[in-house]
Amino acid sequence: MIEFKNINLRFDDKVVFENFSLKINKGEKILLNSPSGKGKSTLFKLLLGFEKLNSGEILFNGKRLNKNNLLYFRKNIGYVSQDVDVRKDRVWNLIEEIFSYKNNRHIKISKHYIIMNLQYFKLSEDILEKEVRQLSGGERQRLGLIICILLNREVWLLDEVTSGLDEDTKEIVVDYVLKQNKTILIISHDRIWCKNDVVRIEEW
Amino acid sequence: MNVNDISYLSMSSLLILIIPIIIINYKLKIKINKKIFYSIGRMVIQLSLVGVILQYIFSINIPFINFVYFIFMIIVASFTVIRSCNFEINKFIIPLLLAFIIPNVIVLLFFNGFVIRLENLFNAQYIITIGGMLLGNSLSGNIICINNFYNSIKQNKNEYFYSLALSGNRIEALTPYFKSAVLASVNPTMAAIETIGLVALPGMMTGQILGGAVPLTAIKYQIAIMVAILIARYFSAILSILFTALKAFDDYDILIF
Repeated sequence: MIEFKNINLRFDDKVVFENFSLKINKGEKILLNSPSGKGKSTLFKLLLGFEKLNSGEILFNGKRLNKNNLLYFRKNIGYVSQDVDVRKDRVWNLIEEIFSYKNNRHIKISKHYIIMNLQYFKLSEDILEKEVRQLSGGERQRLGLIICILLNREVWLLDEVTSGLDEDTKEIVVDYVLKQNKTILIISHDRIWCKNDVVRIEEW
Repeated sequence: MNVNDISYLSMSSLLILIIPIIIINYKLKIKINKKIFYSIGRMVIQLSLVGVILQYIFSINIPFINFVYFIFMIIVASFTVIRSCNFEINKFIIPLLLAFIIPNVIVLLFFNGFVIRLENLFNAQYIITIGGMLLGNSLSGNIICINNFYNSIKQNKNEYFYSLALSGNRIEALTPYFKSAVLASVNPTMAAIETIGLVALPGMMTGQILGGAVPLTAIKYQIAIMVAILIARYFSAILSILFTALKAFDDYDILIF
């Protein structure tokens, strides 16, 4: 479903990827496990076209990443970035804005459904009235995840979505994510993601 | 006209008041003395040249030449933006020229035609002075606007990428930065409009009153010019982003300078 084929990437004189290949099948849950600085987050950015390869190719559902297919990649991939870099605004405004985008307008969201999700991940519904900058790291991570859930795209890229959570909440998140019928790539230093036989671990 | 002309000698007498500044700077080691002389010197040369040229242009007052002079001012303004925003000349000069020319020419001709009701829209006395005021304001507005827009995208790179990931559409992801840049550009003008006359008499009014106009006429001109400035500045700011943005991003929506 997703394939990185012999990719090469270097920043100035630092080699990030050298003939790196990785194949991901539909529905797989993959934990990217390599030391910091080995380009895990960069791999997500490559997939979304935020960084450009020096050589090699990236395929998604048979489509090669290039300027013509870029929108297909971005529209079908849900992304939660490491710091959930959403714009500084009131949470509810932000959600309204995201779902007013042309590519998301077809998604019907109800406040009720959002609140259900908030409760599921142990967030109070007051959060919708708060400013993003008032949220703690863990609250932002869950907000990012909920937005990703609402967008309902077929691939999820989750960059450190559990680092700021307490043990119980971590378990809820991990449990939820691994139950999804989606293709999910996970970057995390939390061992909790490995305690099951669903996750395939990729190391380099 | 009953303006007292200033003699060169009396003009230089102002330099006496600069002397204490030089001494204080020297004692306090504020390294700005050279710069003071440089900038005053530059101003003298620049304005003298402009004075000679304007004197000539005003005396012959040929519409075509007046307009060319106005376009020349626009070209200088565009290069000023290029320099202060660190743009590549080849890539951005045309977008910036258009962003200046379109709104400023339209507002200027409208102003001359419908507000002042000139018979000759290209009269030097109006096109160069009013045009200069509009242009000077668009210039500072565009510098603020462009710097604000591109710097906030650079500073919030991850935020911008995240919006792209959430929407997929460059225009939607850029809209918040666009809005705040236009606001940043227009806000100083709004503040100036609000406090005008209370804090300081604006230059145009001062000039007209010194030139012998009655305050009421001066005020009518001032009101009209402030509104014209706001309009030109607003549209110029919007166009400066729209036109430069066409060249500032690559196929992958990444900012490339």
